[in-house]
Amino acid sequence: MSLRFDYQPFPDIDKPLREQLGQYPRVPDITLDVLRTLARWLVIGAIRAQYRIARSGAIPTGERVALLANHRSHLDTLAVLAALPERRRRRIAALAARDYFFERLPRALAASLFGMAVAFDRTRYTELRRWARLLETQREGWLLVYPSGSRKRAEAHDAILFVLAHSGWTLVPVAIEGSAEAWPVGRKLWRPFRTIEVRFGEPLPASSTKHLSAELARFWSSGGVADA
Amino acid sequence: MDASSLALDPLRFYTVVTAIGFGVMGLVIAALRVAVAWKPYRTWLFMLPVVFAALWLGKLGWAALVTVISIYAFKEFAKATGLYREIPFVLAVYAAILAMNLFAFLPHYGFFMVAPLWAVAALTLIPILLNRIAGMLQAFALSVVGVVYFAWFLAHLTYLAQAPSGLGFVIYVVLATQFNDALAFLFGKKIGRHHWTVISPNKTVEGSLFALATSIALAFLNWSIAFPQLPWWGVLAAGVIVGIGGQIGDLTMANVKRNVGIKDFGTLLPGHGGMLDRVNSLMLVAPVFFHFMGYFFGAFPG
Repeated sequence: MSLRFDYQPFPDIDKPLREQLGQYPRVPDITLDVLRTLARWLVIGAIRAQYRIARSGAIPTGERVALLANHRSHLDTLAVLAALPERRRRRIAALAARDYFFERLPRALAASLFGMAVAFDRTRYTELRRWARLLETQREGWLLVYPSGSRKRAEAHDAILFVLAHSGWTLVPVAIEGSAEAWPVGRKLWRPFRTIEVRFGEPLPASSTKHLSAELARFWSSGGVADA
Repeated sequence: MDASSLALDPLRFYTVVTAIGFGVMGLVIAALRVAVAWKPYRTWLFMLPVVFAALWLGKLGWAALVTVISIYAFKEFAKATGLYREIPFVLAVYAAILAMNLFAFLPHYGFFMVAPLWAVAALTLIPILLNRIAGMLQAFALSVVGVVYFAWFLAHLTYLAQAPSGLGFVIYVVLATQFNDALAFLFGKKIGRHHWTVISPNKTVEGSLFALATSIALAFLNWSIAFPQLPWWGVLAAGVIVGIGGQIGDLTMANVKRNVGIKDFGTLLPGHGGMLDRVNSLMLVAPVFFHFMGYFFGAFPG
């Protein structure tokens, strides 16, 4: 019997740091994990010092959970992170537009370290198919998804909802209120000392894209009150 | 700044000479029209200030830079071989890197020499504490390479700076090895015809011999500033250590790359690859130069 070593290089070895930061699932990286933890503590502390984060609804449970939130401000991700307990927060990955957050290294670093972002390429035709396969193969994970795709759009995109609806993941609606006033679209600076409400709804039943879209629209427009 | 003040201070001397040499290298690349050399050249534009800033900060700055480089280079090695999946082993090697650079910085010769033994002894505990069998021999073996090659060998660069004329040693070893690499690459590309190793198919007899010759020439050119206490045969040996040791270090890591099936260890340094692709030639030169200077000339305290 001969002794053979089985080398398995990491898949991201030839990728630039900018791409490593945005990849999902995240590849274990002690340096980045430590930096993410420190950055997360820092940004959560800063958010809590400036805003009152009012959380309502039950924190979802499960191994594969996708939080589907409305998106109106850069503060949304930080507000959701601040509303979650640390053990959930450290596992979460927030889908963020590659063309906006991961084209340049400084912004990619900020998005990945402070906002737990991973890259979603909304310009590529095959991206949804790639994510459909990814979600299917993942045995565990927490995702924060903005199905509207942009802060300037209120309605969810059907395509991403289709992928999520067929993924087998637990889909939890999240309504964020007050963040748009705290940092409106188009303004360079945020406005501190306000309240941001984060409401977690009951998991949505696996159903058609159309039904999911209607449920989310109802939940978000009522600020999550209807469900609570 | 007159010539005599330059001659008294190796750091100031080498800062000026490197700046001039770097400019000349740019002209050579332009004259020889080696387009492929521009990318690594531009990366050097960022690396040289970092190296010299650490040297100007003193022994602590230099020790910190060597420690960071060692950790990053080992991380690349661990990711390339898959060892990075075994976090306890990786953390143990990181701890060894920190400890050995600390002993080199203090400096404490006894602790520094015995540190690899203790580090390897600590590694043997990991499979026992994890209570695992599968993959443990491979992880242990790769971690021993990590302890010896990335922690201990590279920490000699920190220790080199502790000698009374240590800055000269450090700058000579670092610059000569890197210069040697650059010239071997440049002339190998331009005039190299005869390939001599399957480990690194781009290496040519012409490029390697030219690198060796320039290393020896560089050693004699640096004699009065880097190691004025050495006799002629010591200077010759210093040149040979850099000229041959650098290429062996390079080939050792090339062998690792061929075994695991990758081209470069990373993408951190455009035109060079990863950190390990850049420092691989230093890894063998640093300890051999250190022990040569220590054994024959009693150059180090402790």
